[in-house]
Amino acid sequence: MQANINWLDNPEVFRVNQLPAHSDHPFFRDYREWQKQHSSYQQSLNGKWKFHFSANPMDRPQDFYQRDFDSSNFDSIPVPSEIELSNYTQNQYINVLFPWEGKIFRRPAYALDPNDHEEGSFSKGADNTVGSYLKRFDLSSALIGKDVHIKFEGVEQAMYVWLNGHFVGYAEDSFTPSEFDLTPYIQDKDNLLAVEVFKHSTASWLEDQDMFRFSGIFRSVELLGIPATHLMDMDLKPRVADNYQDGIFNLKLHFIGKKAGSFHLLVKDIKGHTLLEKNEDIKENVQINNEKFENVHLWNNHDPYLYQLLIEVYDEQQNLLELIPFQFGFRRIEISPEKVVLLNGKRLIINGVNRHEWDAKRGRSITMSDMTTDINTFKENNINAVRTCHYPNQIPWYYLCDQNGIYVMAENNLESHGTWQKMGEIEPSDNVPGSIPQWKEAVIDRARNNYETFKNHTSILFWSLGNESYAGDNIIAMNEFYKSHDDTRLVHYEGVVHRPELKDKISDVESCMYLPPKKVEEYLQNDPPKPFMECEYMHDMGNSDGGMGSYIKLLDKYPQYFGGFIWDFIDQALLVHDEISGHDVLRYGGDFDDRHSDYEFSGDGLMFADRTPKPAMQEVRYYYGLHK
Amino acid sequence: MDYTNNQLHIIYGDATLGVNGKDFQYIFSYERGGLESLKVHGKEWLYRVPTPTFWRATTDNDRGSGFNLKAAQWLGADMFTKCTDIHLKVDRHDFAELPIAPFNNKFSNHEYAKSAEISFTYQTLTTPATNAKIIYNIDDVGHIKVTMRYYGKKGLPPLPVIGIRLIMPTAATGFDYEGLSGETYPDRMAGAKEGKFHIDGLPVTEYLVPQENGMHMQTKKLTINRETTQNNVDRTNEKFSLSIQQAEKPFNFSCLPYTAEELENATHIEELPLVRRTVLVIAGAVRGVGGIDSWGTDVESAYHINPELDHEFSFILN
Repeated sequence: MQANINWLDNPEVFRVNQLPAHSDHPFFRDYREWQKQHSSYQQSLNGKWKFHFSANPMDRPQDFYQRDFDSSNFDSIPVPSEIELSNYTQNQYINVLFPWEGKIFRRPAYALDPNDHEEGSFSKGADNTVGSYLKRFDLSSALIGKDVHIKFEGVEQAMYVWLNGHFVGYAEDSFTPSEFDLTPYIQDKDNLLAVEVFKHSTASWLEDQDMFRFSGIFRSVELLGIPATHLMDMDLKPRVADNYQDGIFNLKLHFIGKKAGSFHLLVKDIKGHTLLEKNEDIKENVQINNEKFENVHLWNNHDPYLYQLLIEVYDEQQNLLELIPFQFGFRRIEISPEKVVLLNGKRLIINGVNRHEWDAKRGRSITMSDMTTDINTFKENNINAVRTCHYPNQIPWYYLCDQNGIYVMAENNLESHGTWQKMGEIEPSDNVPGSIPQWKEAVIDRARNNYETFKNHTSILFWSLGNESYAGDNIIAMNEFYKSHDDTRLVHYEGVVHRPELKDKISDVESCMYLPPKKVEEYLQNDPPKPFMECEYMHDMGNSDGGMGSYIKLLDKYPQYFGGFIWDFIDQALLVHDEISGHDVLRYGGDFDDRHSDYEFSGDGLMFADRTPKPAMQEVRYYYGLHK
Repeated sequence: MDYTNNQLHIIYGDATLGVNGKDFQYIFSYERGGLESLKVHGKEWLYRVPTPTFWRATTDNDRGSGFNLKAAQWLGADMFTKCTDIHLKVDRHDFAELPIAPFNNKFSNHEYAKSAEISFTYQTLTTPATNAKIIYNIDDVGHIKVTMRYYGKKGLPPLPVIGIRLIMPTAATGFDYEGLSGETYPDRMAGAKEGKFHIDGLPVTEYLVPQENGMHMQTKKLTINRETTQNNVDRTNEKFSLSIQQAEKPFNFSCLPYTAEELENATHIEELPLVRRTVLVIAGAVRGVGGIDSWGTDVESAYHINPELDHEFSFILN
């Protein structure tokens, strides 16, 4: 198969040759590797890559992926990083409208006319910058002789991949891992990986989040050596029995490769007591159903108790092929007949924040240190929940939330705000995904990527269909996807408020944003059909967060109110050296001559962009401490 | 002059009223319309006469809700001050007119009193106009009780703040206060802890766009520390302090290097002028900051300042 640039224009093409999304569990060669937290099956490709920037697709070096291509004039760029922050192209912050506003007229394919393909909209887009990345690598010894996959954890926004001159695949959905099988073309030495990253594609219509608009390989890239038999996917469904004491353990395992040998499975508590032990022969699909654990220790924010699952995979000669360690908790979320959200049988109150991934120097290419700092800030300030606004986060974040008892609303990578709201008015004439058939699979795929990757994380209590994308058949289909795959969590979507007739098909909870306290109370006083939350409230732009008590006191009056997520955790601003003052300063939208811009609206955080708390944080700590 | 017996030495000047005592010297200017000099232990504490303040640098929420558009008249009233009346009372004697020449020819350099009260009336540059009065009451040991009275009037636009602004000639090295932790506003003070706090320097909260910041609600006592003066013969660089105490009720204050207008004019922190002075605002009425959203919803009504009602507050300088 050859790469086709017209895929950029076609909403029906969003993944080519990508491996199916699967659980994010780690796998080690043996116990020692687990102890050292380093898997020899994983070879990082992070570091300096060769790089060429093109202002648009017409100018790009089309044959750069070929082995005989002369790349001597290429620059180098760090991977992971944002292309804009290496100053190849302009930083731009814009909220609702699309980044091409005032420069290029575009409409989404098929939005106005079922025959309108919008050919060339992006493949010939004058604003569609291109990053051509090259990386030469040798396989590490542990990978030689194995099937080799490559995993891109995050690339904005559309990418084509080649290895040694052969086309490997194509991916969109910037914020979930894209994995490809390199085995047919891999060499032990001197491999040439080529990745072509486009800033825009039809995915741009679905990734209209309120943020700086970056592009590039902004999360880690690694090679995975696949053992002869390998656990590709696991689906862990620990349930809590109706007595809220006992646990019911369910697990599905999906093996690939030779699928021969056996596995040894253990579940242990924190004192090392074994609750479950299994030795079974490997088949492609294995199920462990309804194993009952009496008197389990339940997981919650105050006591994030995790059990240890260990799966040892052996070949037919009893050699250990891989060790899969995974920690999980028992917890149960449900809605009572009185429309109260319950966690482990007790009322759940979300003292939450929306969190963009942000680093003032690195943009959305954040570091482990950023993540652990944020978790500590949560714990210090009684923040018990996070909404991953408005895209899946880096994988380690979900592990940190499991370990620290942070309740997660795991949001899809979806926001099409500019297709239905213009200058504050609701005008959905060109809305996507809407009910347009050609946009359906792309958004279901986003739901699937989010679900399959993160499904085993205890901390996730809610799946969120996305942000501010209006509502239609395709959002309904996303809701159905989650409902048909997961009965252990609730589904959330706010945008259905604009089409109330769809409320019985979308979202288990009534969710609003920025509804004033009086209006919240009106909803709660009138026999609410669903539990109520604010997925965004207390807009912390500048000197703000006043009047929070008016929301918090409603929690005492109305059990159907289960709290909300403050907008938002951290300012989006970039640290820049100011030649005039000689200081390093924080800059916001419009400060890079970027137009059209929404200027300082990029900074709405409880934290300044350099991660110092704003003065309002003491207020949050107080009010969030009242319903811990 | 040796001041030993708790009396005020009154200087009936041709353009000012001097009030002197042991270790203090106050000059009230009839021309400038206010307290021109507050000299304590030989150190000057005022750069220009204190004035009523009615503006706060627009917050993002204020801008979003259009509050700045509604309240814009108060920006002019804050920047430009029109003093329309001055009234003087020394001990029990009420002066019908200011005691300037030739009336003051009858006085000497030996005029003493147990108390003095001088009030300045300012007409706001608003439509309709109203009055604000700042009253200085000086007791026999030189403590000044400052009272501001704002006269509400129907038809005035909503108010950003009601306070008195005192600008000091040099930047403070820090301040100590007894009150609430952190930056607080009427609708954001539940999480603050009561206590005594020391602040180094004059920190400006670095909101992306400079705006109203640094308010401290419910304060019992404030001490401002400086080390420098503009006096060419004073190069001691030793710490000296001025204290402000609550009168009947706690007061609210911010202590920053900038006026509301200087903050208002900057779109980034780095555009603010070099730190040079101390701008102390003692506020009687503080508007909440809000937070429901930043694009239309006003601060909750309980935290508005009603411009049609009278407001009064006091504090003591010593």
